[in-house]
Amino acid sequence: MMLFETRLLKKLKKHPLAIIGIVILCFFYLIMIFAEFIAPYDFDNGKRDYSYAPPTKIHFFHENKFTFPPVIYPYSYTFNQYAERIYLEDISKPYKLSIFTKGDRVKLFGIIPINRHLFGVKGNPDNCRLYLLGSDAVGRDLFSRIVYGSRVSLTIGFLGVAITFLLGFLVGGISGYYGGKIDSVLMRFAECFMLVPSFFLLLALRSAFPPKLSSIQVYFLIIIILSFIEWAGFARIIRGMSLTITKQDFVKAAKSIGASDLRIIILHILPQTLSYAIVAATLSIPHYILGESALSLIGLGIQEPQASWGNLLSVAMNVSDIQYHPWILIPGIFIFLTVMAFNFLGDALRDAADPNK
Amino acid sequence: MKETRFNIIKIILATSFFAFFYSCTQTQKISGELEQIDYTAIQKKAENFVPKIGTYGGEIILSSFSDPKSFNPITSTEVTTSEFTSYMYEGLIKINPVTLKPEPGLAEKWEVSNDGLTWIFYIRKNVFWSDSTPFSAYDVEFTFNSLVLNDSINPNSSRDMFVIEGKKPKVSIIDSMTVKFVLPIPFAPFLRAMAQEILPKHKYEKYVKSGNFSNSLGIQTPPDSMVGTGPFLLESFISSQKVTFRRNPLYWQKDSAGNRLPYLSRVIYLIVLDQNAELLRFKRGEIDYLRAKGEDYPTLKKDETKGNYTVYRLGPTSGSYFIIFNQNTSIDPKTKKPYVDFVKQSWFRNPKFRKAVAHALDKESMIRIVMNGLGYPQWGPMSPSEGFFYNPNVEKYPYDITKAKQLLAEAGFSDKNGDGFIEDSAGNTVEFSFYTNSGNIERGKLAEIARKDMEQLGFKVHFQLLEFNSLIQKIDNPPYAWDAIMLGLTGGVEPHFGKNVWHSTGTLHMWFPRQKAPSTLWEARIDTIFDTAVKILDENKRKTLYDEWQKIAADQLPLIYTVLKEQIFCISNRFGNINPSPNGGILHNLERIYVSSKNKN
Amino acid sequence: MRDDLIRRTLLLVPQLLIVTFITFLFINLAPGDILAKYRFDPRISQESIKKLEQKYHFDKPAIVQYGYWLIRLCHFDLGYSFSREADVTTVISERIGNTLLMSSFAILFTWLIALPLGIFAAVKQYSWGDRILSLISYFGMSLPGFFLALLLMFFIYSFSNIPFLGAIPIGGMVSPNHDQLSLIGKICDYALHLILPVLVLTATALAGLQRITRGNMLEELRKQYIVTARAKGLPENQVIYKHALKNAINPLITLFGFSLSELLSGAALLEIIINWPGLGSLMLEAVRSQDTFLVMGIMLMGGIMLIIGNLIADLLLVIVDPRVRS
Repeated sequence: MMLFETRLLKKLKKHPLAIIGIVILCFFYLIMIFAEFIAPYDFDNGKRDYSYAPPTKIHFFHENKFTFPPVIYPYSYTFNQYAERIYLEDISKPYKLSIFTKGDRVKLFGIIPINRHLFGVKGNPDNCRLYLLGSDAVGRDLFSRIVYGSRVSLTIGFLGVAITFLLGFLVGGISGYYGGKIDSVLMRFAECFMLVPSFFLLLALRSAFPPKLSSIQVYFLIIIILSFIEWAGFARIIRGMSLTITKQDFVKAAKSIGASDLRIIILHILPQTLSYAIVAATLSIPHYILGESALSLIGLGIQEPQASWGNLLSVAMNVSDIQYHPWILIPGIFIFLTVMAFNFLGDALRDAADPNK
Repeated sequence: MKETRFNIIKIILATSFFAFFYSCTQTQKISGELEQIDYTAIQKKAENFVPKIGTYGGEIILSSFSDPKSFNPITSTEVTTSEFTSYMYEGLIKINPVTLKPEPGLAEKWEVSNDGLTWIFYIRKNVFWSDSTPFSAYDVEFTFNSLVLNDSINPNSSRDMFVIEGKKPKVSIIDSMTVKFVLPIPFAPFLRAMAQEILPKHKYEKYVKSGNFSNSLGIQTPPDSMVGTGPFLLESFISSQKVTFRRNPLYWQKDSAGNRLPYLSRVIYLIVLDQNAELLRFKRGEIDYLRAKGEDYPTLKKDETKGNYTVYRLGPTSGSYFIIFNQNTSIDPKTKKPYVDFVKQSWFRNPKFRKAVAHALDKESMIRIVMNGLGYPQWGPMSPSEGFFYNPNVEKYPYDITKAKQLLAEAGFSDKNGDGFIEDSAGNTVEFSFYTNSGNIERGKLAEIARKDMEQLGFKVHFQLLEFNSLIQKIDNPPYAWDAIMLGLTGGVEPHFGKNVWHSTGTLHMWFPRQKAPSTLWEARIDTIFDTAVKILDENKRKTLYDEWQKIAADQLPLIYTVLKEQIFCISNRFGNINPSPNGGILHNLERIYVSSKNKN
Repeated sequence: MRDDLIRRTLLLVPQLLIVTFITFLFINLAPGDILAKYRFDPRISQESIKKLEQKYHFDKPAIVQYGYWLIRLCHFDLGYSFSREADVTTVISERIGNTLLMSSFAILFTWLIALPLGIFAAVKQYSWGDRILSLISYFGMSLPGFFLALLLMFFIYSFSNIPFLGAIPIGGMVSPNHDQLSLIGKICDYALHLILPVLVLTATALAGLQRITRGNMLEELRKQYIVTARAKGLPENQVIYKHALKNAINPLITLFGFSLSELLSGAALLEIIINWPGLGSLMLEAVRSQDTFLVMGIMLMGGIMLIIGNLIADLLLVIVDPRVRS
């Protein structure tokens, strides 16, 4: 029997999609970790003159001459006879872009003060901004907010899965090991949580708290509520495998030497389930991301001015708004890509973990 | 190999996706500038408008955001109901929607004694209720003595307007076509208040006698039993869907050729719960009239010819929109502590604090960002569209962060510990909650900007959206658990009808309601102004007093004003006799509007 | 088999109640006063508030309150909705039909489309059609329903000039002139308004179902008895439909039960986005006003809908698969 890891690598070569998934995730997580460095602007730093500005045009030619590094021009807007915003570039004032520039003062990971960013406008002028993906109503850079928003959307899955793991392992492992009455009771109990559609249960638990909580409180509340919903399914999977593994000889051997039940479960049975557990975890992370996005979308999740991909999309619910500023929909693409990447990865892992294939 | 072909497809799809987004972001070419509207010219034209003789028939489809809760003009407090009852019931006086002056309505003329206390109204002849009963002075006497002034009918929004310093006017019949009112004290707004709807005695007397009047004229009442003198009568009401009015064939008003008005056969209101849907329906022609927001103006204006409608901009709306700080000094009898803690009182009650906030509000951005440039900064309690009493000469607070910080520094506020937030002279960080009502996207956006503006000053602001009713509860009732709120009020032509807000004893004196004695000199002065001006019959003398009131309000800023939006009306070109007016909108002469066979004048 | 079914069904009742109990505890332990808005309304007297408190036992500990809720439940009384000022049962019954309408059509279309597509993909494995379907399935499974809804709303709104596209409503369940329409008109009105939500729900559910159908069909088609059938000269159609499909369907129906939970959740969120007057949008209002009884009632209804759906799936299984019956 090949090691799981070796099998995994072999399988991955056969799954180009999984590789794409891994690449996307690595990319996003890298951005998330170094968010303050990568985002050219602070998440709440808006310039009102840039209200709903379209993505900044990057020019490689200024006054018909090729320039490197490329330049951008300051934007301003005025209204035409239809009260439509007309954005004007002031081509008399070029500003060079540069790598590793001085920018807003922020704290990397919230502790280390830095003022250099991956890229930006040389000199960090206030009146000329590089908005790669356009801006929102109050002139904040959408790209920066998406980068900061990834902190919420990408971590919520892991933290939630950690809690689910804990609960699921314990309950599932114990249930499968002991079997019989204990198994029945525990599993029926776990099934309770799968009886109500997840969104209904999510909102019901959310209603326990006032609609508007601080973002940090909501963040942890969401993690707790979502774990509540997800753990049962996970427990059942672990239980299934635990049942089979318990019947094996080495478990009987361990019992005969007098090892305690708990020790057997934790040290012998659960490690065997690890490969499946990882698959289940990978495939359930999207549920957390979507759960948080859904809550923030309808206003019960992360609040302004903090950003999460879900609450960035909540402005898109006003259809007439996005007709003129469609870039508001871009955070949805990030959610989509992340979910897709996890699904690809999970699929590949599942194939790898399946000894039949 | 097959996978690579696969991937190529994916890349193509992804690129086309992004290409689409980027194509939408092409900067448009300028084709013109936002038109400067000459409102005085529009007003003049409206005043000199001569209606054409119209043709009978057709209907107009309007929209409403909520169901009416009743059809009872006496007991109802909400705007939707008043809009509907104004079609069915009229008053002795009619306020001309264009000039805002009182005109003969169901009374064709009136006399007033020299002391302003005795009024005699001569009822118009040949006016009939829709069930053919003649209209008479008995109906007027019944409406006032048995309904408006009746203490056992509650709630009763009309009564508040006619009870002056606790005393009621005496209403009596002189003959079947003449009514006499004797006021206890001179009451300047009296004539305006006589736009009060008159209800038929023969239908409702028995309800009053049995004590059931508050339940009559409800949404369950059969429409054919509703009898009025107005141009339209209720035909049917389907909850959450539609309210239909039909033409009153016995309406007394006639056009210049002697034809009985109104021309339209029906006025239909669709109950629309979704603003986006309403806009789309208007553009498709399913609704004939729309009151639009600034941000929808571009899409509406562009399709004017195609959609066969016209978009009118008619100046600032009436009403006001402001930030209030809680200035309540009273003590909670249960806990013996003040409702608003002393530290916060010291900030909010300091005029320099409020003026600093006023200077920090970026009104230009609010107008440009939220309303697409179609709005106006507001400086005082009245709006230019409210006519005669409006005083444009009040203190203005241009957007000036430096000046704001300077004012705060003068009042002892500064960042003593370098944490980015400012503290007062005692070292307390200026931290407070800031609420506005949820459910209104425009207001939410304005509040966001205001919050950011206040944070620029170094305040720690906790912003929350609350449901409208919860917000009102907090303001109206102990323990007055709020710090700063952004809210709006409807306005009116007659300042005295805002007394509940401005008098220190008022229930709507939001920053410190129901005071036993005025807590500041300026509130005392405003009290005096309101108590005095109501009794003066000379309009110009009243104006001097109300001008002073507006100056005080703008100087002391109990309400820190923000912006007024532009009135934007859209109406299908099918209709004739449309007379746009900054004061009245475009449906003010609904009884003269008709479906014209040609397009537009 | 029958006994097993009955035993499982009986267990459902206490199981559902356990969820409601835990939720109830959660809600009651958290801060918030359900009668807050009444306490500050000057029109409502202190006596009325006291009466309400007594009626619903708000002064007693959470467990006792739950007990009373259970007792009321036995009388089919779900309590009073303070935010809507009506009985919870009334409020829910106004809306539940709309949710069921949307969900049923979504399920119908999902199956109508996914099955043939899955079969096609299995039969024509590795063809261009199969590849494209596979690609779309991957996308569909990962595309969040709410995002697809926003995208579709955007497209319809932007291209509302195109005649047919423009007629598709992007919100609500009926047009304002609904009651004026003839019966046919009313049905068409519902149908038009259903296009957007059913499209979104179907698209997201379709992908997964199509892939699994394909997978199952492929497995079946590899089996020995199929080889035998072909060797015997049976026409290909019979091989696919009469034999392979029947066996491939079994796990699908089981899956239907699982996917139902996701469908109902997706439908609830969608209702909020497009303003469909169903249980989802009602739930949001209930949460916003912290209306405990309404929240519990809707959650219970959600659970019951899911249970009934699963029972239907079990019954279908019994009908379709003779192996299960014994």
